[in-house]
Amino acid sequence: MEQLHALGAGAASDFLMSVPYEEQRILFHEMPIDVAASLIVHLPYYHAYVLLHSRPRPEMREIIDAMSPGERNHFLDALPEEAWQCLMDELVQAGEGAPYCAVPGESGEVTTEFAPPAVAIEPIIEARQISKSFQQPDGRQIEVIAPLDFSIEPDSIIALLGPSGSGKSTLLRILSGLGAPSAGEVLWHGNPMRQSKPNVAIVFQSFALFPWLTVLDNVEAPLLARGLSHFDRHRRALKALGAVGLHGFESAFPKELSGGMKQRVGFARALAVEPEILFMDEPFSALDVLTAENLRGELLELWLAKKVPTRSIFIVTHNIEEAVLLADRIIVLGRNPARIRADFRVPLQHPRDRKSGAFVLYVDYIYKVMTQPELELAPPSKIGHKERAPTQMLPHSRPGGMAGLLELLQDRGGEEDLYHVAEELLLEVDDLLPILDSATLLGFATAQEGDIKITPEGRAYAEADIPTRKKLFREAVLARASLLQQMHTALEKKSDHTMPVEFFRDLLDERFPQAEVEQQIETALNWGRYAELFTYDPETDTLRLHQHESHETSEEGAALH
Amino acid sequence: MPSPSPKASPGVLTWGTIPSNVPSLLRDLPVIFGALGLFYALLSMTHYWLTPVNAGTEISLSASALPKYAMFSVLRIAAAYVCSLAFTLVYGYIAAYNARAEKFMLPLLDTLQSIPVLSFLPGVMVAMVALFPTRQLGVELGSILLIFTGQVWNMTFSFYSSLKSIPREMREVTEIYRWSWWQRFTQMEFPYAVIGLVWNSMMSVAGGWFFLMACEMFTLGNRDLRLPGLGSYLQTAANAGNMRAICWGLGVMIGIIILIDQIVWRPVIAWAEKFKFEQVESADAPTSPVLNLLRSSRFLPFVARFTIRPARESMGLYFAKKRAAASPYHEPNKILQWITRLALAVLLAGIIYACGKMVLLLVHLTREELRGIFLGAGATLLRVMFTLFLAGLWTIPVGIIVGLKPKLSAIAQPIAQVAASVPATALFPIILLVLIRAGGGLGIGSIVLLLLGTQWYILFNVIAGAIAIPTDLKEVCSVFRFGRTERWRELFLPGIFPFLITGFVTASGGAWNASIIAEYFHFRGHTYFTTGLGAVISAATDSGNFRVLLAATILMAAMVVTINRLLWRRLYNLASSRFKLEN
Repeated sequence: MEQLHALGAGAASDFLMSVPYEEQRILFHEMPIDVAASLIVHLPYYHAYVLLHSRPRPEMREIIDAMSPGERNHFLDALPEEAWQCLMDELVQAGEGAPYCAVPGESGEVTTEFAPPAVAIEPIIEARQISKSFQQPDGRQIEVIAPLDFSIEPDSIIALLGPSGSGKSTLLRILSGLGAPSAGEVLWHGNPMRQSKPNVAIVFQSFALFPWLTVLDNVEAPLLARGLSHFDRHRRALKALGAVGLHGFESAFPKELSGGMKQRVGFARALAVEPEILFMDEPFSALDVLTAENLRGELLELWLAKKVPTRSIFIVTHNIEEAVLLADRIIVLGRNPARIRADFRVPLQHPRDRKSGAFVLYVDYIYKVMTQPELELAPPSKIGHKERAPTQMLPHSRPGGMAGLLELLQDRGGEEDLYHVAEELLLEVDDLLPILDSATLLGFATAQEGDIKITPEGRAYAEADIPTRKKLFREAVLARASLLQQMHTALEKKSDHTMPVEFFRDLLDERFPQAEVEQQIETALNWGRYAELFTYDPETDTLRLHQHESHETSEEGAALH
Repeated sequence: MPSPSPKASPGVLTWGTIPSNVPSLLRDLPVIFGALGLFYALLSMTHYWLTPVNAGTEISLSASALPKYAMFSVLRIAAAYVCSLAFTLVYGYIAAYNARAEKFMLPLLDTLQSIPVLSFLPGVMVAMVALFPTRQLGVELGSILLIFTGQVWNMTFSFYSSLKSIPREMREVTEIYRWSWWQRFTQMEFPYAVIGLVWNSMMSVAGGWFFLMACEMFTLGNRDLRLPGLGSYLQTAANAGNMRAICWGLGVMIGIIILIDQIVWRPVIAWAEKFKFEQVESADAPTSPVLNLLRSSRFLPFVARFTIRPARESMGLYFAKKRAAASPYHEPNKILQWITRLALAVLLAGIIYACGKMVLLLVHLTREELRGIFLGAGATLLRVMFTLFLAGLWTIPVGIIVGLKPKLSAIAQPIAQVAASVPATALFPIILLVLIRAGGGLGIGSIVLLLLGTQWYILFNVIAGAIAIPTDLKEVCSVFRFGRTERWRELFLPGIFPFLITGFVTASGGAWNASIIAEYFHFRGHTYFTTGLGAVISAATDSGNFRVLLAATILMAAMVVTINRLLWRRLYNLASSRFKLEN
């Protein structure tokens, strides 16, 4: 054993691999925690996984905790999803009383519940093969939600994560019965949603309070709709207001309250009807960081103490940490059209510590899922012969944002965890992803497994001065961004070097929904103007090729004469 | 002895701060007397309505008759306003929620809005007099309907667009909690629309005063109909050339307008403040002493506790239970569907029949009449454009200068508001008198009248625009030492552009409508008129020439709608896309 220790991790692992498995197991079993941790990362992940399981669970956890953060992420990221989920569950169960997971007594019930997947429990809401498509003005259908199955089971907080424009809110509205799916059906306790009266409530990002009603009247309004008498309404509204800490504000008008207080009213209104499922549509996004944190904590407290008269909570968010902090189950949506990319349980005990290893692992894992390359293609157009039409989507970011990211990476030695970058730049994943996507699209950085790495081109860009940056950007764009290539070629070919933007809009119309077309054009104009590919005249809505060298123009002038 | 309220500063007893130790009965006296007065007015009005028709009612020009006339006119405008409100709620509601109905209800509204009030006169009057042939009520209802047609359209538009712009999440709240339609209306739709409705109501009532003279006294074929009222008083005084009576009438009218502004509109505006759709409380909310008085009254809450509140509660619960009992699954009512279809078919047949009749009538137009109509249309178009040009010429510089100086605008704005509230038609006899003495005719007079009626819209908007120019932009001008011309060209004129366009749109609509009065006027037993579409319409109404009236009205509506679509809407889009100052 001492010899092994003396060998150093690399050689020791080679030695370990050279002996029969039984001996490996015995050797590994005997190893001190720190040695095992340093050694195991040098083994193939599947082998490491098996060896880890040869030790009791608390030790397993200790070994993983003893790894350096980078190695730990590397090891866990490499695991297939099922193995990862399984390991997570085991680690969490093993972790009771672990040093970084100081858990008060009440958490026991939370953890034990999650060992078997909750299949047997009858869901409250069940969606079967629901999809949603919108009709374009020209009659074509654009699918925003691909057919998916989904269910909301009782006694859990479910978080729905996804990049902006991925149809999260649409999905929430379909599940809550506000909107109807284009195909498939939504069941409420086994009956079609349209024919039942689902007892649900929604908390909105914009609060959606009625400014002309007092706080009390706002909370009472849904109760009036339920046909409750004046006395009952009053009693229940006061109880709900008391639960969210708004005693004494009954007669205030919403405009007198701060954002956090308004959202408390929003919560009170939702809780007063005692919904079976409480839907929340980015409820903390409109609040400042501290207020959001505070409110989130209070909501969780109410939920854990079973003071919330609701069986399940369904929260839509684009804040990854928020999801990991609250949810028992997290669903990650992909976009164009929306589909489920990951659906997993988070069996960590409440209250969760943002700094704990397991918490960070979940965050890192979600980043990994969200940045995994996916073919972000619109559904194939029915007209097959239009080969020139762009299939690539420009991420909606500005060149400036990308420069900031690359500079940060450069400072950090060229590689960094995505969630660190997000923390550093104070960006939510929604804002960070498009910047990341554009950096990878242009070949300035590569993203892998939740990490981001700068390329030599990216380094050159980060170090360059403004004119050189523009030049590098132009070269990258012309080499890699198909829409801009197309625009540039078209402008060059035209004798007067001008084109109406409408032409490109029509081209994109075939591929994307209306709003997306506008965004694509806006981004393309932004990039193209920054790269000095063309100039844009908003009066006539036309593009004009940018003349880089003065002699080009004079040549042209000479040709004209 | 009760101690004085700590809030009221000692020695100051204004309307706004009546301390609570004044016996409550004293405070309630104005409210109680107000209610009694209203009751008496209604009683005498009904009494008068039931008298037989008197075609040649003599309008007394003595000043002592004025209070009675004023009361009649006020009640007439109030009745028309109530009808307008009811129509607005129903029409706006259907147009906003029934996608199929919306497609034809909106263009219809647009067209109706551009038809001048007087064009409705013969149809409305004939129908009403036929309905109550022997009672004064028929003529009275006709007059009210006429005022109604001048008031209703902009209110309906405002209500409709408010309904359409209710935020989606707010609607979702009512949907997810399954509010009844009654609760939706009282707690969301009506409150959301109130502010727009209040401002448009003020404009509408002002329009009612503007056309009061035309609506209270008119000839219908060979019948000379006049109703006792302030408008007919002024018209009669003008016919007789009685300057003293004109001044008396004018004075009473201005007094009433200011009074109504103080005891109706100011309190309503202050009250509507709570419906403002804002997330943060604004610093200078409008206040009204009358509203404060009403709010401090003990009598009103006492009445409300036994009337409004229980009624509201039981209504709310009744409709909530009805909604809860209704199946969530919408089964379309077959019978209702058939009735709707039948009604639509009848309506369509009626429209086709009417259109056919109209064409038959129009075919008989003589070449001479057609020439007159088109010549008039051209003249009125030029006149309206020239008026707008003149109005812009003085209001833009004055408005900008006033708007840039906060002290000046604090003084100028209330003055301009009072000036604008005086209906230009009432001033017309005086202006005409001056012009005739100076040797001018109605050609100039009509432009002066149009100017009087429309310039205020532009002035108000320019002042508002100049006030809204951000200080930092003004500072940029100072830092870079912009000259005066540069400052105006680069900042002030582009800055006020969106506001200016809004003013011009309103002014243009008003000018077209006012042309029917401005171009044709009875004065001192003599009819003054000038070439113009308005004159054609007025003359056709007077002589009962239906086909000319119809043709001229169609032409005017067509021109107004076309100009709105082609000119103003484009400018408006340009203003809101390029010249919008975002701060």
